[in-house]
Amino acid sequence: MTGRKLTNMELDILKEIGNIGMGNATTALSVMFNTSPRMEVPVVKFVDFNELADMVGGPEAIVTAVLTHFKGGINGMILFILTLEEAKKLLSLMLNKTYPDDLVSFDHMDKSALKETANILMSSYISSIGTLTNLKLRTEPPAICIDMAGSVLSMPISELGQVGDQALIIDSKFLDNEKSINGFLMFVCDEESSDKIFESLGIRC
Amino acid sequence: MEEVTKVGIADWKLCKAPGKITTIGLGSCVGIVIYSATSDYCGLLHILLPSSKDIKNNANRAKFADTGLEDLIGALEQQGMRRSTMRAKIAGGAAMFQFSTKTEIGSIGDRNIQAVKDILAGYNIPIVSEDTGRDYGRTIVFDSVTKDLTIYSAGKTEKRI
Repeated sequence: MTGRKLTNMELDILKEIGNIGMGNATTALSVMFNTSPRMEVPVVKFVDFNELADMVGGPEAIVTAVLTHFKGGINGMILFILTLEEAKKLLSLMLNKTYPDDLVSFDHMDKSALKETANILMSSYISSIGTLTNLKLRTEPPAICIDMAGSVLSMPISELGQVGDQALIIDSKFLDNEKSINGFLMFVCDEESSDKIFESLGIRC
Repeated sequence: MEEVTKVGIADWKLCKAPGKITTIGLGSCVGIVIYSATSDYCGLLHILLPSSKDIKNNANRAKFADTGLEDLIGALEQQGMRRSTMRAKIAGGAAMFQFSTKTEIGSIGDRNIQAVKDILAGYNIPIVSEDTGRDYGRTIVFDSVTKDLTIYSAGKTEKRI
């Protein structure tokens, strides 16, 4: 996958998939939080392993990450990543609690709430990709990890490392008007799977 | 300011006394320091996967325990370090995510540690100390003068091995 370049058309398609997936995901979340969501146009690109952590604040920044594998026509994983600050914001909205600034760990209930929020977002994202591509995708139970971004990302990086040195990232930030939660979904799949996406949309054969 | 050499993912570098060498955010990856009491040099390798065999895309040799260690040991020997005096300290190999279903990739940390141990044993390089496994990330810094490996983890006190 090294040095892989996508054509503009392919890039646009991935962006659109990201948009639709993210649209569904934010709608799901807005129902939960009773707000009107907004989102940014997703950024789609191949990213070198060493640059992945920089997208979430650097390798030493503490992040909360929920990871789910998806299987079916294409295989890969999807991560929902929040900085510690954003996670606290989200949790205080959900659970009506306050969190001290220096807190670096969460209790079982907090983790469970983060995991469930992520699960809703990721499942609606994956299901819209499945609908668009007509591939039967299913997600596996998610797992959560709160640690340094570099360490957290070692997991998707190891899995991808077996096929290349870069990851295809559909990075979709979402914002919420008043309460402004800022997290992002990272959709990671190997080259074989991204080819299948294009094939099933009739772009390549 | 003291000089600190930074090693990225799937990368190795050498460092000369009195410098320090570091790699940030080891998760399931393993960091291997090789040094010698009789040399000013030391080297740090940050591997991602246990073996380059059976993997199509294995051009980046520093990504794997087998080819990465071969290159690092070779580079240290070029600087005059004798194999018989080489010592290793290792850290990392955590399981960052606890999945309800066991997968091959879920145990990648354990497999990385085992591969590193087997390969070092094959070269007859003793592992002096280690901080491996568990479920948290590690940033490591090796001091080429004191030969101490310091481990920093989120929400934990630093550890020196």
